[in-house]
Amino acid sequence: MSPAGTCAVRVREIEPLAPGLKRFSFEPAHGGLFPTPPAGGHVMLTLRDGAKVMKNAYSLVSPPAERARYDIIVRLVAQSRGGSAFLHHKVARGDVLEMALPSSLFPVAATARKHLLIGGGIGITPLLSHLPELKARGARYELHQLSAADEVPVFERLLAPFAAGEEIRVHGGGRAAFNMAGLLARQPLGTHLYVCGPRPLMDAVSATALALGWPSGKIHKESFGDTSGGLPFKAVLKRSGIEVEVGEAQSLLEAIEAAGVAAPCLCRGGACGECRTPVIEGEVEHRDDFLSLEEKAAGTAIMTCVSRARGPRLVIDL
Amino acid sequence: MSDQGIKSRPKYRPISPDPAGRHHLLVVEGGAVPPGALAQGVSAAAFEVWTVAHRSAVPGAPVMEEAAGAVRVFRAVPHLLSALEERLARERMGLRLYGAGTEPFLWDLFGIAQAAGLGREEIGFAHVGTKARRIFCVHCRTVTEKVTTSIVTCSGCGAPLFVRDHFSRRLAAFMGVQVDAEVPGEVPEPEELYA
Repeated sequence: MSPAGTCAVRVREIEPLAPGLKRFSFEPAHGGLFPTPPAGGHVMLTLRDGAKVMKNAYSLVSPPAERARYDIIVRLVAQSRGGSAFLHHKVARGDVLEMALPSSLFPVAATARKHLLIGGGIGITPLLSHLPELKARGARYELHQLSAADEVPVFERLLAPFAAGEEIRVHGGGRAAFNMAGLLARQPLGTHLYVCGPRPLMDAVSATALALGWPSGKIHKESFGDTSGGLPFKAVLKRSGIEVEVGEAQSLLEAIEAAGVAAPCLCRGGACGECRTPVIEGEVEHRDDFLSLEEKAAGTAIMTCVSRARGPRLVIDL
Repeated sequence: MSDQGIKSRPKYRPISPDPAGRHHLLVVEGGAVPPGALAQGVSAAAFEVWTVAHRSAVPGAPVMEEAAGAVRVFRAVPHLLSALEERLARERMGLRLYGAGTEPFLWDLFGIAQAAGLGREEIGFAHVGTKARRIFCVHCRTVTEKVTTSIVTCSGCGAPLFVRDHFSRRLAAFMGVQVDAEVPGEVPEPEELYA
């Protein structure tokens, strides 16, 4: 049996797209169909590498209408905390994994007159599930994908099915050659902006749009979290009565889970707010997109999936 | 009976330009920006202003200036609204739209703005002028304009309607429901409430 809200999935296909880039296709391990996923949705995989248990969120790239399979694309990260290396090197066709059913924090806006999508690198993944949905709705869209020069053909191939009649461009010349302000300034009224990619790109897009008068409600960001780690610290879980050591390459949430405490979480990327936990003592280094600036300044809550202690010790109400 | 505790009743406040906006268009139902429409210390020069003269002789504008401080005068409200539709269709992100006038005017404006893709974050309204209401008869769908009383006879089906605070942003109208549905003929004395 699978825990509530999860299902067992079998790897039906692994397709190498480029060096360090693989598409994994899953099917329900016990037959049947998956639920219809939301556009821009993600799933959480539980990866068991020996004694090490990792829970990682991945955007679905298969069309929302496709229920026989769920596809994800995973980039092998050099400083992987284990998830991408495990998927790339240890998972094989036929393996069964535990997957939490999809949810979306990055939906398509129903009232938009036009959709402007900007992806950076592997940040293309949630946009790949938006495109079939936009096409099915007959919506007007424009997509710009920023890419390393050598990966331009890979992204062009992934985007080819959606390119007919719509403006889709892959930019391989780096951020400096991409006229972001020009692009954002010429968008018609009623455009919604979706951006997914490395944090500096998302921050730059969002700041540029705001400076050009875009209302914040029309700027949608999908972060896959700042997983760059940081200094180790000790977290005291007051209610559970335990202390956990959070390592350099580990998130607070992962350390809590490793200690056997069931902590709330959903996106694991600092976007959804599900893991919000009250802080009793200690200073927080906020890395999430959920709390407001005021809440961050108050320092009374932490998003355990991405944020860390700014100091040796943090006491939380968990 | 004037406060019926209904949450859909829109709220308005004096206008000041949204600092996050790039261009500010203020649309006025009358011939000039009415006193009280702008927040304290705000000058009309911060906006491109559209007004309605309610007469045929309006000054021609050989060069259409679309900048803060420019004023464009229209003959009548429909004249202005149709120009607004065209204008919004070619506008870019960053525009903020403001309206000053009566409720039916403001919400007709809202309908046009919404169809053009503007959201509530991009719109600001100040209610000035008469409080008279546009009433939508829920029974026969007829709209009766300029209602100032608590009970009104529907101009479509003749039913005596109770004027509710229940407001439809889509129809830019308040809801009117038959007041003597339970006991036919038992119609309370209308009160003058929305002058």
